[in-house]
Amino acid sequence: MRREELSFERPTHLFASQPPEMRGQSRDDVRLMVTWPEGDNTHHTFTELPTLLKPGDLLVVNESATLPASLPATSRLGSIRLNLSTRFSDDLWIAEPRWSPSRPGPLPLDEGDMLQIGDGAGKLLKSYPGIPRLWLTQFSAATSILMGKYGEPIHYSYAPVYPLEVYQTLFSRLPGSAEMPSAARPITPRVHNMLLAHGIGITGVILHTGVSSLEIEDETVEHQVLYPEPFHVSAATANAINAAHARGGRVVAVGTTVVRALETAWTGKVIRACAGDTSLYLHPGTGVHAVDGLLTGLHDPVTSHLAMLSALIGIGRVKEAYQEAIRHRYLWHEFGDSHLIWKQRVENN
Amino acid sequence: MITSRTEEELHDAAASLRAMGAKVSAITGDINDPNHRTRLLQETNLMGGVSLLVNNASDLGETPRPELARASIDRFRQTLETNLVSPLALIQQALPQLQQSHGLVINITSDAGEAGYERWGIYGSSKAGLELVSKTLAAELKPLGISVVTVDPGDMRTQMHQEAFPDEDISDRPLPEVTLPFWAWLIHQDPPTLSGMRYQAQGTLWEIPA
Repeated sequence: MRREELSFERPTHLFASQPPEMRGQSRDDVRLMVTWPEGDNTHHTFTELPTLLKPGDLLVVNESATLPASLPATSRLGSIRLNLSTRFSDDLWIAEPRWSPSRPGPLPLDEGDMLQIGDGAGKLLKSYPGIPRLWLTQFSAATSILMGKYGEPIHYSYAPVYPLEVYQTLFSRLPGSAEMPSAARPITPRVHNMLLAHGIGITGVILHTGVSSLEIEDETVEHQVLYPEPFHVSAATANAINAAHARGGRVVAVGTTVVRALETAWTGKVIRACAGDTSLYLHPGTGVHAVDGLLTGLHDPVTSHLAMLSALIGIGRVKEAYQEAIRHRYLWHEFGDSHLIWKQRVENN
Repeated sequence: MITSRTEEELHDAAASLRAMGAKVSAITGDINDPNHRTRLLQETNLMGGVSLLVNNASDLGETPRPELARASIDRFRQTLETNLVSPLALIQQALPQLQQSHGLVINITSDAGEAGYERWGIYGSSKAGLELVSKTLAAELKPLGISVVTVDPGDMRTQMHQEAFPDEDISDRPLPEVTLPFWAWLIHQDPPTLSGMRYQAQGTLWEIPA
């Protein structure tokens, strides 16, 4: 697939800059578009989610909590931002130096450059192979302490920074994500209770997200390099998902991170207990096998997220749905509206 | 401590490591020479002992790579010596130091050790042997607190890869630095949880037993 095929006009007027609770509403006060297996799109409120699912269906959420992973740093280029992305140890990360929250890199930095972060320091060891804006970075102090002292949640140009709890969901339990796994944000205790009352199961995986992808740079979508992210699919979760499939229930990933974790744990027939770091890249060439649906937000053009959506339903239907969302003024990004996508039915599957 | 038969390459590698701030000792020699192995380990002992042993030295065997039916048996023995026997000999000699440090042994293998590709039987069987040696050692050395893994680095633009494909332009293969993130990841894991695992450095999953 060529990169232009994932392109559409960025609806900047529809970027959500504020979470609903900051407007005096509830977190579940967002809209929900459903793209059905036949390709038609319908419009709902998020609180209708339980009625759009069937008893026996299973939601899989990401239980990773968001870190204050954005650090102010001083380099030989002056004041910059260092966004931590993937943790190898408390003093070694893949990190992204940026000019500012709104201005990405790559910055003209070199191997061995030192970044001062308060009373700590980071040394740029090597740029990430194939992703020059990311650096393997060695820290003089524990990053958990640096984040506690100086860190704030990663944020970009379309939204100001909010307190850390704004970036957590009902299911966040293990800190480790550089950016909020946001798809479960509108699942409030009342939606959660309605889901359970409807006989819909909920189970969790861990996938600690790195910094969000910029646009795919390679002309060929399938050639884009992704960096690793730590994940964990427990035996209990694997059993719950396999049991749901066995009884004819549908498995819905809440967030693209969950799809990534489950596809990594997919043996070709079932989900197995599995942990480690995954850099699995899902695109139309790979397909998606482990889930029947995806509850997510609305994503930017030419990103790996969009490649994954195309793996689920084909780029044609993704674009139709997005045109529909733009017409109906759905809001984009982590504080915006939701999108439930059912996988296209395949014969003989 | 780094070692190689080629003095100039070894010294270049040592210089680049020192530029990164590492304390490096570099000794030229052949890993098949027991005296060389002894000397290496005497030196590491003075440096504080071995906590990580990487067996990377390998011999591709005859080039062009022959079919097994026509392969030189003497040359086969020589390849096994370098790729299979000497790594085990070095591990045996390093055991006291590895036990002291609860160290990790990384043996570099290859997909040729699993696949049965035509004309890869000599090199491939040496690597298949190293896979089994590693798995067995992982089980046997567990009580000593020593861990063993194998790593298949994948196709890379190296001198050995060029020798394996003498008439091919291999510039489409990535440089060895493509595996750096994997090494950074691996050396920060808790070795006993990984012992017995086989990794593909360029693979999409670096697994830890769940």
